[in-house]
Amino acid sequence: MSILVIAEHDNAGLKAATLNAVTAAAEIGARLGTDIHVLVAGADCGTVAEHATRIRGVTRVKVADAAHYGDQTAENLAALIVAVVDSSAGGYTHILAAATSNGKNTLPRVAALLDVAQISEIIAVVDVDTFVRPIYAGSALATVKSADAVKVITLRSTSFDAASQGGNAAIEAIPVGPDLGQAKLIGREMTRSARPELAAAKVIVAGGRGLASGENYHKLLEPLADKLGAALGASRAAVDAGFAPNDYQVGQTGKIVAPALYIAIGISGAIQHLAGMKDSRVIVAINKDPDAPIFQVADYGLVADLFQAVPELLAGL
Amino acid sequence: MSRYAAPLKDMHFVLTELAGLDRVAALPGCEEATVDVVEAILEESAKFSGGVLAPLNRSGDREGARWADKSVTMPKGFKEAYRQFVDNGWNALSGNPQHGGQGLPRVVSAAVQEMWKSSNMAFSLCPLLTLGAIEALELVGTDEQKAIYLPSMIAGKWTGTMNITEPQAGSDLAAIRSRAVPQADGTYRIFGQKIFITYGEHDMAENIIHLVLARTPDAPEGVKGLSLFAVPKFMVNADGSLGARNDAYCVSIEHKLGIHASPTCVMAFGDSGGAVGTLVGKENDGLKYMFVMMNAARFAVGLEGLALGEIAYQHAVAYARERVQGRAIEGSASAVTIIRHPDIRRMLMLMRSQVEAMRALAYSVAAAHDAAARHADAAERARNQAYVDLMIPVVKGWNTETGNELAYLGVQVHGGMGFIEETGAAQFMRDARITTIYEGTTGIQANDLVGRKIVRDGGATLKAVIGQMQQTHSELMKPAGAEFVAIAAALGGGIEALRRAGDYIVANYAGDMRAVAIGAAPFLRLLGIVSGGWMMARAALVALGRIAAGDADPFFPAKIATAHFYADHVMAAAAGLALEVEQGGASALALDEAMF
Amino acid sequence: MKILVPVKRVVDYNIRVRVKADGSGVDLANVKMSMNPFDEIAVEEAMRLKEAGVATEVIAVSCGVVACQETLRTAMAIGADRSVLVETDIELQPLAVAKLLAAVAKKEAPQLIILGKQAIDDDANQTGQMLAALLGWPQATFASKVAIGDGKATVTREVDGGLETLEISLPAVVTTDLRLNEPRYATLPNIMKAKKKPMEIVKPAELGVDVAPRLTTVSVAEPPRRSAGIKVANVAALIDKLRNEARVIA
Repeated sequence: MSILVIAEHDNAGLKAATLNAVTAAAEIGARLGTDIHVLVAGADCGTVAEHATRIRGVTRVKVADAAHYGDQTAENLAALIVAVVDSSAGGYTHILAAATSNGKNTLPRVAALLDVAQISEIIAVVDVDTFVRPIYAGSALATVKSADAVKVITLRSTSFDAASQGGNAAIEAIPVGPDLGQAKLIGREMTRSARPELAAAKVIVAGGRGLASGENYHKLLEPLADKLGAALGASRAAVDAGFAPNDYQVGQTGKIVAPALYIAIGISGAIQHLAGMKDSRVIVAINKDPDAPIFQVADYGLVADLFQAVPELLAGL
Repeated sequence: MSRYAAPLKDMHFVLTELAGLDRVAALPGCEEATVDVVEAILEESAKFSGGVLAPLNRSGDREGARWADKSVTMPKGFKEAYRQFVDNGWNALSGNPQHGGQGLPRVVSAAVQEMWKSSNMAFSLCPLLTLGAIEALELVGTDEQKAIYLPSMIAGKWTGTMNITEPQAGSDLAAIRSRAVPQADGTYRIFGQKIFITYGEHDMAENIIHLVLARTPDAPEGVKGLSLFAVPKFMVNADGSLGARNDAYCVSIEHKLGIHASPTCVMAFGDSGGAVGTLVGKENDGLKYMFVMMNAARFAVGLEGLALGEIAYQHAVAYARERVQGRAIEGSASAVTIIRHPDIRRMLMLMRSQVEAMRALAYSVAAAHDAAARHADAAERARNQAYVDLMIPVVKGWNTETGNELAYLGVQVHGGMGFIEETGAAQFMRDARITTIYEGTTGIQANDLVGRKIVRDGGATLKAVIGQMQQTHSELMKPAGAEFVAIAAALGGGIEALRRAGDYIVANYAGDMRAVAIGAAPFLRLLGIVSGGWMMARAALVALGRIAAGDADPFFPAKIATAHFYADHVMAAAAGLALEVEQGGASALALDEAMF
Repeated sequence: MKILVPVKRVVDYNIRVRVKADGSGVDLANVKMSMNPFDEIAVEEAMRLKEAGVATEVIAVSCGVVACQETLRTAMAIGADRSVLVETDIELQPLAVAKLLAAVAKKEAPQLIILGKQAIDDDANQTGQMLAALLGWPQATFASKVAIGDGKATVTREVDGGLETLEISLPAVVTTDLRLNEPRYATLPNIMKAKKKPMEIVKPAELGVDVAPRLTTVSVAEPPRRSAGIKVANVAALIDKLRNEARVIA
């Protein structure tokens, strides 16, 4: 019996999320004493498979190389994974993928075809059949136990370390399945450069009166936001002073946000501002006033001159 | 941004358990108002109020309606919100089904209107005025007027106004001077200036139908010479399309303490040849029609007091939960949220308990209004109408005075931050301030209550209401527990105070009218407080029954606790108010005018 | 064509749920329930397709307790023509729901099934994909744009780092993402009409579906409280904390 990890890749390279998935698999594998296999399904994906062989803890990399896996369409991919599970001599106890768009798209389809439940976006492994996953947008953590023979799991990659390099797995080319022809990718538009919308952003870089001018606001914060894929926000004081447009305002009278990371730069932390961002998962405050109220809610506070600290932060990321 | 979440649970409780929604739904023409449908309506109205109207409340206050060149531009977002409001059919909620309305009862409309008013009081005034004008046209309009105006007004495509006040004629309508000159074609030309015309001009609808009080050339002096006219902003052609611009213009708008987004217009009729109008009802009967509409209008303003109390409470609670300031009075390791402080708690309970009492009273009066209008049995109609007539000045006067007090407390809970406009608490206080003034000041309500509603029938209707209160009081004697002992004692004391004060008024009005009138406002407050206490006691009894039946919803123990608080803290004033009524006349009138 | 819109009754999105003291779950007693917001988007999309003349009938389906009738009435108040409730008191997990929906779909033979990408209670994000698998239909998840053509649908999907556009053959399953549309508010006349629209009630057994749960919830806990903030000495320490402790940056 083995554990199967579905590789996340773009045919040219392996995505880091795969390494987190291998770690999660290894946590289960350690309890069972089983091997970890990685499935690379793609088109001209030999390089990816090569990468996968070097992940520490992986013993076998199965490769299905065919044009109709190139776009990772769920219909073809799910059928392939089911075929791999069905045809594997030893069988698989667990199938894991990172909860990326692809993982979330494909794995439930696999689970249904296998007539098993899926356990979505786990953040911890309790036992071989028991996992922790957030529910209600993270307001609660559920520990769930699966009664199915095969556990189909997606995992939150930020909750598991990346597996290290140094492995030496064998590559096995496996038979490709038919092209079901149900779905065809006809366009792709990557928007890395555009900034996310404030209310929906995972990371927000917000500036306050401490920036002293609109020019500083843009000069200092924009490169940082670009680097982090962040939206830009502002305190009311910064908006009132004209440093940033109205729709940047975070707070009671502006937008209410709860990103994974909120970086408050030169914001003192008036209660109205705090009301708009206090539910952020991680709050960072950079302010030169050690008594600024923002530090009372910040997970990480840096008492520093922002004009030095922000460029330094940008350089260090 | 102002946030509002309609108190659906309490609304549902009051509608079904206290106001008797099932009895209303059994009235002829109210068959649609079943609990499930009403619940769906309230849910959607809550979404609309919270999602569309509330977000415009603060920006509307800041921006205000703007006047330029005889036109009014509404604050950003209002036009679009109004379009959505109309498209979604909300304006037609209570309208006559013959003209495209949904014909839902007043008690349902009351709950829905409370949401509009809480979420955006300034916005809500536009449909409110339209509803008033619709009611007048329904009542006495000609078939032609109804056909021309009602479908578009009920839909909300056109809005309505009431043009009563003039610079020299405020509370005293006898001083109205506007003139209506009959024309050969049967129409009239209207001349004159009207002030304080809510939504007299705006850019949210394609036409505005002004109802204007004016005098015909040979009309008698005083209030008996007033006639009502329909004066459209744009003339309406026979095919329903809009024609020429009428000679009715907004020449300026007021700069006000509150309701900034609601344009309060100075209207000039007939500056260039006369505004064309048609007579509504009979000549010289204008004031009579005003009185018929007045109950609905005064009730609606009473809802504003409730609605502003509710939104002030919601914001105060949210702030008190969030604001960390000072250690707990009994000691704490670190600073605590202010909701832990006893005096904050007391203020929040004052707000909560009086909001709930006002809601219960207002909705039950609305339900009685439905029965008065639609019950199959004439005696039932009359009984309900008497109750409504007695209670309208109370709902108007007490709810708005209390609404102001609660908005004041809302600011107080916020402390210094409440004095700063950004938290929004101050806006509710400013917006509430008009409610004790327009549609008859509290003084006028009190005079109406004492002079017309108590004295005229020798206190009979009041006695009937006291009888019902006593019924509740005797039910309160059964359950055990400190809460019910306190609630029963407070209601008993309140009933006694009411009886004494009522008897005093009936006995002394004819002989010492001025002294009794000094006690009018305190008596209105007394009747409001005790009626509210009666409602809270009924609510506590229902809650107890539900708990006994095994319902574990924390809403019910909370209701009992809130009723208990009301009994301890609000009802305590009843005895003092009765004394004020009975003994306060002489000293209030002791000083000679020259001494002031 | 017919569109089937599965809708789920969930805790209202404004409610902050509390974990029960005994850790057996979250406290749902007396909590306001509403239609899953992603499903509202699905109903809206179906209505737009109907208004555009693409769809002829929109059928809302819900699986669960009797009170799900309210959710179906809401869907019909937005505009769905009729509805089906698969009524059961058993806790339904995504696989069971997908099986029930597949059974309903086989009866109704829609060309399109459109539903929320996930429910905001269990956050599972599975049902649409499972349903597509069980029916052997193609799927387009996380849709931000849907266009129906001749026997096919062109769907723009929100994927990591951008958008991709798929062409799928019909019948198919589409799951909605937040940006697909902004759901309308139900109109008052439609709310009143909703009561008179037909609602069919069936039991899982009548559909021949075994809905027994596959996962057991062992316990439910509060997420760890935000630990008291710390001050970091310098930018390097900050970056280290963000990367290795908070894990919010790569």
